[in-house]
Amino acid sequence: MRLRKAALVPALVAVSALTLTACGGGGGKTAGSGSNKGATAGAAQSFSVGNKADSTGPAKDVPGAKKGGTAFDIETTGFDYLDPSQQYVNQLQAVGMLYSRQLTNYKTDPVTGKVTLVGDLATDTGTLADGGKTWTWTLKDGLKFEDGTPITSKDVKYAIERLYQDYQTNGATYFPTWLSGAGYRDVYKGPQTGELPDSVIGTPDAKTIVFHFQQAHTDANFAAAEPDITAIERSKDTGPQYNSHPVSIGPYKIADYQPDKSLTLVKNDQWDPNTDPLRHQYVDKWQFQLNVSSQQMTQRLMNGSGDDKNAMNLANNADPSLIKQIQDDTSMAPRTISQYTPFVDTFDINDTRVKDVNVRKALVAAFPAAQIQRLLGGSATGDIAGNLISPTIAGWQDSDPLGIKANKAGDPAKAKKILTDANQLNYHIEVGYANTPKWEGVANALVDALNQAGFKAEKKEIDATSYYSVIGKKDNQFDMYRTGWGADWPQGDTVIPPTLDGRLIADGATNYSHYNNDAMNKEMDTISAITDQTQAASQWMSLADKILTTDVPKIPLEYDKFFNVYGAGLGGVAYNPVLGCIDPSSVYLKG
Amino acid sequence: MLRFLIRRALGAIVIILLLICLTYFAFFSLAVDPAQLACPPKSCTPELLAQIRSNMHLNLPIYQQFWNYLSGLFVGQDLGQLGHCAAPCFGYSYNSQRFVWDEISANYPATFVLAIGGAVVFLAIGVGLGMLSAWKQGTMLDRVASSISLIGQSTQIYFVGPLAMALFVYNLQWLGIPKYVPFTQDPVGCFTGMLLPWLVMSIIFWANYTRQVRSLMLEQLSEDHIRAARAKGMSNRYVWWRYALRGAMAPIITIFGIDLGSVFSGAIITEYTFSIQGLGFLAVKSVNNADLYLELGVLIFSSVAILLFNIVVDAAYALLDPRVRLA
Repeated sequence: MRLRKAALVPALVAVSALTLTACGGGGGKTAGSGSNKGATAGAAQSFSVGNKADSTGPAKDVPGAKKGGTAFDIETTGFDYLDPSQQYVNQLQAVGMLYSRQLTNYKTDPVTGKVTLVGDLATDTGTLADGGKTWTWTLKDGLKFEDGTPITSKDVKYAIERLYQDYQTNGATYFPTWLSGAGYRDVYKGPQTGELPDSVIGTPDAKTIVFHFQQAHTDANFAAAEPDITAIERSKDTGPQYNSHPVSIGPYKIADYQPDKSLTLVKNDQWDPNTDPLRHQYVDKWQFQLNVSSQQMTQRLMNGSGDDKNAMNLANNADPSLIKQIQDDTSMAPRTISQYTPFVDTFDINDTRVKDVNVRKALVAAFPAAQIQRLLGGSATGDIAGNLISPTIAGWQDSDPLGIKANKAGDPAKAKKILTDANQLNYHIEVGYANTPKWEGVANALVDALNQAGFKAEKKEIDATSYYSVIGKKDNQFDMYRTGWGADWPQGDTVIPPTLDGRLIADGATNYSHYNNDAMNKEMDTISAITDQTQAASQWMSLADKILTTDVPKIPLEYDKFFNVYGAGLGGVAYNPVLGCIDPSSVYLKG
Repeated sequence: MLRFLIRRALGAIVIILLLICLTYFAFFSLAVDPAQLACPPKSCTPELLAQIRSNMHLNLPIYQQFWNYLSGLFVGQDLGQLGHCAAPCFGYSYNSQRFVWDEISANYPATFVLAIGGAVVFLAIGVGLGMLSAWKQGTMLDRVASSISLIGQSTQIYFVGPLAMALFVYNLQWLGIPKYVPFTQDPVGCFTGMLLPWLVMSIIFWANYTRQVRSLMLEQLSEDHIRAARAKGMSNRYVWWRYALRGAMAPIITIFGIDLGSVFSGAIITEYTFSIQGLGFLAVKSVNNADLYLELGVLIFSSVAILLFNIVVDAAYALLDPRVRLA
């Protein structure tokens, strides 16, 4: 489960720059709050799991919000999928907020920035039994599809059942995997072959849905916020073609969709605000323009002339060529978002090849973090990372166990001394890099720094489109390579086991450094069993730092940040740090 | 004339068939497993792979696959669970989850409008400036026109495009954001939305026409038949339009035919500069996603369009110069 999902994550990040959340397991019912220590404009967000009152609609009015008008959105790509069952990347989750709903979801407060997991279709975030093997949700009253048909628990069950069909290849697979095992498609072929038995998903009445997982999953309340845990109207399901016009259950419905070109959403008069604790219906219409170049998108949002005054972008960073201009123009500050995403970039050291821990320590000492940060676009798009956990994850601390932040420029003399003492001077290092101008520049800087520090380093290019397939091989021929990792929900167990559990080493798996330490693996098991998530969060953080200090399998590189402007005519623009994108559900027009 | 056109059309059909044959075999017999490329990398299971093979008839021998594809272009074909793909069936894009023709038909109008509008602009400005230069040979006007041509020929769309956007759209705000609006939906919006892309795209082309027309006009004006016409007492204007320009236009039409084809198939940079989703956008998307059916579809469609343009240009050439019909 973890491997399959995680394998795509960094690959998509590399090629599309969309923030895709990763995999997780364990987790729990409550979450601690993040810290804002050491953060700049992109402060770590406070996060909590809400109660029944938090899950009750209508959503609290945004101060000063007005109704009416058309909001515009300029995207640099198309929407690969509008079918909620196929949505996974954050851009799609963000647009889905306008017409789709899930059992649970994240409520973002545009004023305080606070994020709360709440019941969305459900009355609360769910009730667990059997230690997390059984989860029950109760649907709210007054839920309807856009044609006025009431939503029942059977519609939610149907939405899960259709995930078993062969053409459903892009959504999150937590629920089907947890319900039926990794080979869930072999067990059940989809709703056309009959219903899943009550022993798997029970619907004792029209309002109640009960999930019987094969094993305990105390974080199912988070997994229930994935886009595919929704309600689908069976009579309107047209299979793969459903993607072009999904039936709305949110405040807006699709009026027109031209793939790769435009999307128009209008008000859904069947949506009842009293059922919805997190969405508003302030604007009359949403108009999305797709596949606009990054430079043009940024320029238009900066200028804000005509309709662009009321425009925004969901998940892309501003074009690198214009970031400085945005930063220097103080008039744009009130409409600039600069926040952390769930992603952390690292340089993984291939432990299979670089076996001497002293060599790995020397690599850290020589690492030119500040220079690489500049090459990646500066502090606007990422802060130098001291550890492996994103500031958006519960339990994060601004630690620096390897002294990377304390020694941003790198220390070639110190590195050379470590190598000399270990009798490893002139150690040969092959740095693999994706053959794009950006990563070639980074590789050049790294290789130069390593050569000055007593290494004999050289760079080897890898085709960018198959980068993660190449470095994902257990016997790859590189000593160092960059990877990125993001979490599906703000818990440490969605980061450490998938990337550092030695028992998961395999071709295509996401333990890219091939790190395997039995003692650390056991500690991961111990922490996974902790039910108090505040305590678990703190221990995941400690374990991450301990692994870095003891074995140096990775070099933290950057905490990725979202940086972009939006039109001056928009209000209620909130940022969701769990997804790493803008939440459009409270947007209104000021004018 | 009819016989000439039939000959040209038959030649074009042979070329298209050869092109489809060559590209199909290059894509589907030499490349890596096409089914594997179509299979979503994140969740490609052996079952899904088998399903793709079955749907796209990739289990059949390559010559049968080719025949299915070729006949599908004219009569359509059944693609298993994907349903019937109506003619012209260019296959199915697993990446877009749509039939390829649906993708092409949604995108070619933008490229068509961009190419035709751009061609009209660069032909009008290029020929006009060229004639003006020849008319005022050696004057300041001639030198200015020649200089503009030189500058135009030395620039690139990806440089001029953003510059023009910054000036005319963002700063002066004389023009709106460039965009394609179907002519049938909003003729005025179509014109205003495409004006800047037409002008920018035409800059690199019109320069060549200015230089060519100037030189051809001057050459024509020194011909014996022009002197004879003038000696007969014909007015200068009549001689210019009736004899000199007509004589100069024949080679220009040849160049125009080639340029029109290259504009149609090579509008990728213009489309990307102005974020217009046409065939260029589809071509890049298909390459980025290793979407073989979409790549092949765009290639065939563009080739057919270029050949059609060439036939039209050849016909115009033959009308202007009857000697061509006999060639």
